[in-house]
Amino acid sequence: MADLLSARALMGISLGFHIIYSTIGIGLPFMLMIAEWRSLRTGDESYHQLARRWIRPAAILFAIGAVSGTIISFELGLLWPRFMAFSGPLIGLAFSMEGFAFFTEAIFLALYFYGERRLSRRMLFFCTIVLTLSSATSAVFVISANAWMNTPTGFHLVNGVLADVHPWQAFVNPAWAHEAVHGTLAAYAATGFAVAGVYAAALLRGPAREHHQRALTLAMTVASISLPLMLVSGDWAAMTLAVQQKPKLAAMESLFTSTRGAPLVIGGWPDPASGRVLYGIEIPRFLSLLAYRDPDALVEGLDALPPGTTPDPRLVHPFFDLMVGSFFIMLAAAVWFWWLRWRRRSAPMGRWPLRAVLVASPFGMIALESGWLVTEFGRQPWIVHGHMRVAEGVTTQTGIGLVLFTFLVVYLVLTAGLLRLLFRPASAGTQIPSRQEDRHVDS
Amino acid sequence: MWTLENLAAGAVYLGLVMYAVFGGADFGGGIWTALASGPRTPEQRDQLFNAIGPVWETNHVWLIFVVVTLFTAFPEGFAALFTVLMVPLVIALIGINFRGAAFAFRHFGRQTGRPVSFMASIFAASSMLTPFAFGMAVTAAASGKIVFMNGLVQVEPWIWFSPFTLVGGAVGMGICAYLAPIYMTVRSDGELRGDFRQRGIIAGLVLGILTAAEIPVAMVDAPLFAGRLLASWAAFFVVLAVLAGISTQVLLWRCRFLPAQIAAAGTVTLAMTGFAAAMYPDLLVGQLTLAAAAAPTATLRAYLSVLAIGIIILVPSLLFLYWTFRGAPDSELPH
Ligand code: HEM
Ligand code: HEM
Repeated sequence: MADLLSARALMGISLGFHIIYSTIGIGLPFMLMIAEWRSLRTGDESYHQLARRWIRPAAILFAIGAVSGTIISFELGLLWPRFMAFSGPLIGLAFSMEGFAFFTEAIFLALYFYGERRLSRRMLFFCTIVLTLSSATSAVFVISANAWMNTPTGFHLVNGVLADVHPWQAFVNPAWAHEAVHGTLAAYAATGFAVAGVYAAALLRGPAREHHQRALTLAMTVASISLPLMLVSGDWAAMTLAVQQKPKLAAMESLFTSTRGAPLVIGGWPDPASGRVLYGIEIPRFLSLLAYRDPDALVEGLDALPPGTTPDPRLVHPFFDLMVGSFFIMLAAAVWFWWLRWRRRSAPMGRWPLRAVLVASPFGMIALESGWLVTEFGRQPWIVHGHMRVAEGVTTQTGIGLVLFTFLVVYLVLTAGLLRLLFRPASAGTQIPSRQEDRHVDS
Repeated sequence: MWTLENLAAGAVYLGLVMYAVFGGADFGGGIWTALASGPRTPEQRDQLFNAIGPVWETNHVWLIFVVVTLFTAFPEGFAALFTVLMVPLVIALIGINFRGAAFAFRHFGRQTGRPVSFMASIFAASSMLTPFAFGMAVTAAASGKIVFMNGLVQVEPWIWFSPFTLVGGAVGMGICAYLAPIYMTVRSDGELRGDFRQRGIIAGLVLGILTAAEIPVAMVDAPLFAGRLLASWAAFFVVLAVLAGISTQVLLWRCRFLPAQIAAAGTVTLAMTGFAAAMYPDLLVGQLTLAAAAAPTATLRAYLSVLAIGIIILVPSLLFLYWTFRGAPDSELPH
């Protein structure tokens, strides 16, 4: 039991750690691409300089993304070998394709980072295109594996044994489309706000610099274009859940009993003992309207399924509200920012709107992490929905508590080292050549 | 012979060879930053670091490739291996993490001009730890001691620890330490090149002794594997590996660096081929055959088609990468 709990905690922490870096690994190449493209189009060197400034922090973040991803791919076997023995033939394909996306990404990353003096400007721009495409593709592929755990298809079970396996059908499982779209776009929203926050802070701290303004506008553009798409795709996701994953929707909305004309509950604390939500705000009939586009539709509650087969709403509902709440915080900041931009075109931003951007900047990542918690906690107690419980997938090996502890230390050390390096005073964008070794300059 | 599971096993083998021949040299670079010595110690270190920079992430993906292929094509075998070999695999993972982080931190921290020797020593230590742990894990699968019955692997905490796997770990480390300096001879000149040449020759001797020692150890500790190694195609590849190893030494001696580099990679490839041939047709020697561990036919087919398409994309990109960064490594860091 303790081993199972440790395994779940370790898996969750590892993914929560990895997703921060992989998100940046998806969002940042896109911004590099825009900057390089503008530089080529307008002949304005400063955009190219802007992109090159991001390389040092980006390289460190990418390295951590790569090693933390390696931890996860090992953990699939170290923690969940029985799950993998069962699902490997079905979701392995998604991971195999993801592997080739990683190759492409790593190769063009190296070319872009280290190729400044060996490649032409056009080639550097081309590298950013490949990077953008391959990182988004790798997300879309890995999400297919996750979606399969939610809506497993492409096989039959004959006496508990896999039969009639169709890996391509498993790959295009029903939940894939909405998860892939919503989950990948999230990376652009989250990275956009995070980068905007960095530059808002820089503008608040020091004298306005041209490249800070530029970077802020670029990041806010990317973030603000993705934001409405998050709402639309999130709505699509919720509507799809109402068909495919009813228990998750019920837990998300804390709907204990099946109801016609179900209300939407915002906030509050679901109390399974009484089957009610304490201190929540209710909007009558709104859940039915959102989920089925019909205010009187019947929404299935947690009571529609036998006990022991549904997720715990206390773990799911708060995180759903956090995701949606974060959306509105970001929306408010973005609207204010662009309103002022539109009203006073060239004037520098005032301090308050910059503060608003700064405050909103972590909420992309917060929404993204909480969205994943909704998806993962909302699948419980299943590891493969309807077929295998989490407890049936865990390793037979013991001592997982120690492994959990070990990796906690690893993550803490990595985070501490990273923070020290990124926030070193001298390093913010300045270029101090280290030791001058010009023996090997070949140009 | 050309069954689907054999083709998929070929992909695992290919991935392992690529990881050893390319990634191994990166680990070796880390090992030699620790062992750097003589009047040009800092230059040796810098050169090794600068050479790893552009390629480490790509080389690292070969490992992911091996893991993914294992769980897609041999899910039962993957589950068994990752259950019994938890300890060495966790150790390898820790090494990979600290190595990746220390490398990035040192590489990019250097621009601030601060001392980074602490990072360098973490980098060196984890460069030894990881190949050692992987060497143990791979040889444990050959030891014949892991018991697989009724679809379940017998969990025994110390099964991966034996004289055979200890030498296996040392060989893993030896392969890395062998490749790095030899590759560097092509990418450096003058006295520095002489340093790398000398280190390559020494590492070649050490690796030769280690692999030779593994055979008698195997006869005692992993008799099933040893029997197959000496009495099949495997023996042929072992002989070829020995010949290639001797040629490498001669080429290094005569300062023919490019052929020496190719011969060194060939030596490692042939030795691993011998190992793989002795494993065949098993994934866990004597316990679990490739055929028994394999995924259903539909999966193997789908996997092999993904592999074919992937290779079409991968090969030109890889060639472009290595071609772009050929020659002496840039001492200037990206900024
Ligand atoms: C990257 C964002 C993700 C986060 C933050 C995340 C979070 C979590 C959490 C918190 C758990 C533990 C749940 C519990 O036991 O109550 C978990 C379990 C798990 N996740 Fe995810 N997850 C993410 C994405 C994925 C993806 C893409 C996969 C794809 C295959 C995946 C596979 C698993 C598996 C196999 C488990 C263990 C079984 C289980 O507890 O259901 N996760 N994850
Ligand atoms: C079970 C879940 C997951 C596994 C097994 C996994 C595995 C990996 C691995 C092995 C790498 C390293 C590749 C390299 O060496 O460059 C990696 C990096 C990456 N992963 Fe994940 N990942 C998972 C979840 C996710 C999710 C949910 C996303 C996206 C939404 C994602 C996106 C990425 C991206 C973009 C990279 C490249 C990052 C970089 O190099 O900076 N991964 N992942």
